[in-house]
Amino acid sequence: MKIFAMIVSKELLSFLRSIGLVLVVLYSFTADVYIAGSGIQIKPRNVVVGYVDATGGGVSQKILSKLHQPEFRPPVMFLSQKALSDAIFNKEVMVGLVFDDDFEKNYRSGKKAQINLLLDATAASQSLTTLIYLQNIIIDFQSMNFPLVLKSHKLFNQNADNHSFIALTELLSVITLLIVILTAIVFVKEKEDGTWDIMLLTPVNPKIIILAKSFSQVLIVMAGVVLSLGFVIFGAFDVPLNGSFWAFMLLTFFYSISSAGIGLFVAAVSKNVMQVAQLSIIIMMPLIFLSGAWTPVYAMHPVFQTLSLFSPLRYYIEGTESIFFRGTEFIDLWPYFSGVLILGTLLYLYGFRKIGKLF
Amino acid sequence: MKLTTIKAYILKEFMELYRTRLIIMVYLMPSMIVLLFGYGIRMDVTHARILIIDNDQSKFSQMLTSKFEHTKYFNAKVLHVSEKEALRSIKQAKTDAVLIIPSSFEKRLLHGQKSEIGIFVDASFPTRATTIEGYIKGTVLDTASEVAQRGGLSAKGLITLNQRTLFNQAMRDEDAIVPGLIGLVLLVAPAILAALLIVKEKEEGTIFNFYASPLSKGEFLLAKLFPAFLLHSINIFILFLIAVYIFNVPFRGSFMLYWLSSELYILISLSIGMLISVITSRQIVAVVLTVIITIIPGFLYSGMLMPISSMVGESYIEAHLFPVMYYNHILYDTFLIGQGLGSKKIIMYLLILVGFAVVLFSAGTLLLKKEMK
Repeated sequence: MKIFAMIVSKELLSFLRSIGLVLVVLYSFTADVYIAGSGIQIKPRNVVVGYVDATGGGVSQKILSKLHQPEFRPPVMFLSQKALSDAIFNKEVMVGLVFDDDFEKNYRSGKKAQINLLLDATAASQSLTTLIYLQNIIIDFQSMNFPLVLKSHKLFNQNADNHSFIALTELLSVITLLIVILTAIVFVKEKEDGTWDIMLLTPVNPKIIILAKSFSQVLIVMAGVVLSLGFVIFGAFDVPLNGSFWAFMLLTFFYSISSAGIGLFVAAVSKNVMQVAQLSIIIMMPLIFLSGAWTPVYAMHPVFQTLSLFSPLRYYIEGTESIFFRGTEFIDLWPYFSGVLILGTLLYLYGFRKIGKLF
Repeated sequence: MKLTTIKAYILKEFMELYRTRLIIMVYLMPSMIVLLFGYGIRMDVTHARILIIDNDQSKFSQMLTSKFEHTKYFNAKVLHVSEKEALRSIKQAKTDAVLIIPSSFEKRLLHGQKSEIGIFVDASFPTRATTIEGYIKGTVLDTASEVAQRGGLSAKGLITLNQRTLFNQAMRDEDAIVPGLIGLVLLVAPAILAALLIVKEKEEGTIFNFYASPLSKGEFLLAKLFPAFLLHSINIFILFLIAVYIFNVPFRGSFMLYWLSSELYILISLSIGMLISVITSRQIVAVVLTVIITIIPGFLYSGMLMPISSMVGESYIEAHLFPVMYYNHILYDTFLIGQGLGSKKIIMYLLILVGFAVVLFSAGTLLLKKEMK
C-alpha cells in the first residue's frame, strides 16, 4: 500500500513538472468546454428574412410583424422576386416570403390564400426549425379566435438552453479523450525513455505499478472534472443539477477507470507518443460520435445502435444527462451504473492483461 | 535550386511517411471523420417517442391521436396512465414527450369554450426538444384549423404556406452536413500532418541535418510540404466520391472549381500546420494545438450548423477571419447550388482564399529558422 501511494505521488509529481501537459489539461477542462458551450448555437437565431409584397400591406404586414427577435431579424423588403432569389443564392438571406397580389383578396373573401416561401435549406436542421416556426406563426395568426390553448412545458430545461447542454457534452468528450491519452502516455513515455526496464528491475510487484500508474491518471482527470464543474459548468453556464452530485462523481470515477483500460490497451500496442495520439483518435472518435453525444442513440442507424451497446460512453452520457437534467432518482440510474461497471471491468481487465504481458 | 537534393529529400519524406505508417492516418482519418459524422449526426427528428394520455375518448381526440400515429415523425403510444407515471417514464429516458388531452375536450370545443392541451417535452436534448415541440404544436394546430374550417368556426380564408425549399429540397441532413465536413477535414488533416513533419525532426534532433545541409529554407519547405500536398490532393477525390456515392449528395456545380479551390484550401491548411510547427517543439503539443486551432472554427463557421447570415456581433466578424467560411461557401455552391464562377461573390471568395494562402505561407517561411536558438 505504501508502494502504491509512492508511485501515485511520483506520477502526480512528474505530471505537474511537465508544464505543457498541465496547460493542455487545464485548457481542455476549462477554455475548451467554455468555447464549445458558448459558441455552438443550433436553434435558429437572427434569421434574415426577405419579402416581396405585392398586396400593398394589410394582412401581409400583420403577418410580418409577428416575426420578431430573437428568432428573426426585422424582415427586409425586396422590390422583385429576382432580387430576392439572388440574395438567397448569395446566402445573404435565408428565408424569402412572397405575397402575390391576390393574396389579401383571397384571404378576405374566405378562399385559400397562398404565401410563397423560398427557403435556403443548406443548413437543414436550422431551415427545418425555421419552417416550423413560420408555420406555427401562421397557424397561430389564424386561430386567434379559436378556442384552443396549447400549454407547453419544456421539462428540466425551460428555455431549451443549448449552451449548458453542449458544455456538458463537451466535458464528457474531454474526459474520455484525456483519460485515454494520459494513461497511455504514462506507460509509453517509460517505454520511449527506456526507464521501463529499470522499473522491472525494482522488487516492486508489476501489478501494483500498473494499478498505481493508471490510478494516478484517474485522479488527475477527476481533479480536472471538479475544476471544470466549478468554473465552467456551474460557474459560467449555470447548468442545473437536478440529481445528486455524488452520483455523478461516482459514475465519472467508474467511467474513468473503464477508459483507463482503453488507455492501457493503447499503451500496450503503441511504440511511441505519436502512435498513442493516432490510435487514441482512431478509437475515440467513433466512440464519442456514436454514443449519443450529438444524436440520441435511438435516432441513429440500427447497426450503430447495436454497436453502441458495447460503448461505456453511451451509458455514461445517458446517465449524466439523467443526473443533471432529468434528476432521475438513484434507483432508476442502475442501467447506467451497471453498464459502465460491467464494461469498465472488462475493459480494464483486458488492458491490464495486455500491458501486463510486457513484463 | 539544388534539384537533386530536393528530389532526394522528397523521396526520403515519402519513404518516411510510408514507414511510420503515417500514411494510414493521411487516408484513414479524413474518410473516417466524414463517414462517422455523416452517419452519426442526425439533426432532423423522426420517430420521437410520444405518450398520449387521452382523457376525453371522443371523436375529436381520436382524430388528433390518429394524426400522431400516422406520421413518420412520431412513435405514438396511447396509454391510460397518471401524469406522474408519464413523468417517470420521461425521467427514465423512455419517452420524449407527453401530450395530455383533457376530459370533455370535444364538448368544450364545440361550445366555443377554451380548452387546454398540455404538452410536456423532455428538454435534456434542447435542440431536439424545440423541434419536437414545434412538430407537436404544428400537428395539433393543423388538426384544429381543419376542424374549424369544417365546422365553420372561422370566417376568414385559410392561409397556406407554399414552400419551395432551395438547394436541399428534401432537407436531408446528409446534404447539409457532408460538404461542410469536407471543409472541416481538409482544414484539419493537412494541418496536423504538416505540423508533425517538422516538429518530429525537432523532437528527434534530426532537424540539425537540415541546419547543416546546403538546403535553403524555401527548398526545405518545398521538400517537406510537397509530399503532404500531393497525398492530400488524392483525398479531395476520395471525399468527393464518398459524398456523392455513399451519402448521395447531389453535385450541381463544376468539378474544376471544386478541385482547384480544394487544392488552394489544402495549401492554406498546410501553411497553418507549418506556422504551428515553427512555434512548438513537441509533437504532442503540436497535434493538440492544431486540433484546437482548426476544429472549433472549422465547425462553428462552416455554415453547416448555423448560416453565416444569422450570426451577429463578434461571431460574424470572427467568421470572416477564418478561411473556412469562404471555402465552404464555394463548396456548398458546387455541391448544392451550382452558380459557379457566374457569381461575383464566388470569384471574390476565391481571391480571398488566394490571399490567405499567400499570407500564411510567406509568414511560415519567414518565421522558420535555419539555425540553432
